[in-house]
Amino acid sequence: MTNMNEVASQPGFGTSPHAAGVDLGQVPAKMTVRDVNFHYGDFHAIKNIAMDVPEKQVTAIIGPSGCGKSTLLRIFNRIYAIYPGLRATGEIILDGENILDPKYPLNRLRSKVGMVFQKPVPFPMTIFENVAYGIRHHEKLSRSEMENRVEQALRGAALWDEVKDKLKQSALGLSGGQQQRLCIARGIALKPEVLLLDEPTSALDPIATSRIEQLVEELKRDFTIVIVTHNMQQAARCSDMTAFMYMGELIEFDRTEKIFTKPDKKQTEDYITGRFG
Amino acid sequence: MSASLYTTRRIKNVVAMVLSVIATGLGLFFLAWILWETLSQGASALKPQLFTKITAYREEGGLANAMIGSLILNFLGILIATPIGVAAGTWLAEYSRRSRLGPAIRFLNDILLSAPSIVLGLFVYTIVVLPSKYLSNGNVTFSGIAGGIALALIALPVIVRTTDEMLRLVPGTLREAALSLGVPQWKLTTQILIRSARSGIVTGVLLALARISGETAPLLFTAFGNTFTSLNPLTPMASLPQIIYEYTKDPSPDINTIAWAGAFVLTMFVLALSLIARFAFRSKVSHD
Repeated sequence: MTNMNEVASQPGFGTSPHAAGVDLGQVPAKMTVRDVNFHYGDFHAIKNIAMDVPEKQVTAIIGPSGCGKSTLLRIFNRIYAIYPGLRATGEIILDGENILDPKYPLNRLRSKVGMVFQKPVPFPMTIFENVAYGIRHHEKLSRSEMENRVEQALRGAALWDEVKDKLKQSALGLSGGQQQRLCIARGIALKPEVLLLDEPTSALDPIATSRIEQLVEELKRDFTIVIVTHNMQQAARCSDMTAFMYMGELIEFDRTEKIFTKPDKKQTEDYITGRFG
Repeated sequence: MSASLYTTRRIKNVVAMVLSVIATGLGLFFLAWILWETLSQGASALKPQLFTKITAYREEGGLANAMIGSLILNFLGILIATPIGVAAGTWLAEYSRRSRLGPAIRFLNDILLSAPSIVLGLFVYTIVVLPSKYLSNGNVTFSGIAGGIALALIALPVIVRTTDEMLRLVPGTLREAALSLGVPQWKLTTQILIRSARSGIVTGVLLALARISGETAPLLFTAFGNTFTSLNPLTPMASLPQIIYEYTKDPSPDINTIAWAGAFVLTMFVLALSLIARFAFRSKVSHD
């Protein structure tokens, strides 16, 4: 867990025991979440969440199934808004603006906050087009600029060497792990600031999983990463901060090392040690 | 597991298997019978002149004008129904989510799907054929275009239904993935969803084509029929099902034989369409 040591050594990092106001020390908060509530119709799925997502760090969200971790992630880019009857209230400040404000343009939000889903979902196009597709919507690039951007994104997602000779082939022919890295490439090609990963390895085999985890490690140089996982070892391995959620509430949010060694809350300890969940 | 329980399950399995095989065999038996009957009864008329000569020559002629007419009528029907049907199906699947109109339209479309085709023929007769007298010095003219519209009304609900269903089969995660790149809904729909569902939609169009190529009733009061070859859709046109219908009522046995041959050709055409729909477009789902 070398990645955590550098964070942990920063003065004042993670000293507060309260989930709402963990002191991030010298690491600035990229997203400030305050009083966030979420309703599926009448069901109150997320209750008064407050947390600071540190910039260029990996924040993991863990908790038992149905605790609201994916829901919380889906608020961060307002992807929930495509379904009727769902509603989020509260404040999520990203670069000084509240993204939950209905006036905040979705187009801008989604170019700033990228998302990778549980199951790899390549578009029915060539590998090249999969990556170029999103860029084309936001920027007008010349052919060579586009080729550079696509290569850069594929390199960033550690996929370039495997696909450089078959960029014109269908993305649907790639393996599951390659497809997931393609989805990551597609996400980072837009140069977002925040990258949301929703259980990105749950559909992958152990080798593909470890590649994605390595990749997360590298990506945090450029991006703020929030990863939802139901695999506690994964959270321990690749995150700097960990949030534990239960029944729609944020029980504890602290440095990963602390959450996994001496959590403040009994519930967290019970979950970590496998007593429930 | 106890031996008796295992035996009971095996017996149940054998019974279910036998019943399924009998049911399948029964269905295939009638299909084979129909094919054999049309082939054996029409065999003597299955010669080149069936495809080269027109019905005006009666016993000495063929069905060329009816085949050409059928092709034009089916083409017109599909040409009219496909854009409307695909657009309507897309609206139902992608845009009606927040609207109460969606389920209502889906229901009405299902009613249209099962509407008697003779009623659709009469409807087109009333709204297209009868008003044609205002365009042509008081003469009511039957026309290929009226026949095409009648066939389109039959194909339309089939295409709406398949487009709607195929689009709803596209996983929601694909929509989320595209929308989370900031891609607007219309681009998502036209460039990703329709593309993903394309083979299914094309299959639906081919099945609609197979369906309308066998329709007789809607053409009786619209395309009407023609003993000569007509390429002008503003004039009456012959079609295979309509000629088969006329020829089976004819007292001449030779004419009846031509009707059987026509029925065989038509059945083969529909079979070929179904096979194309089944095989040619299936493999494209995973490679594109």
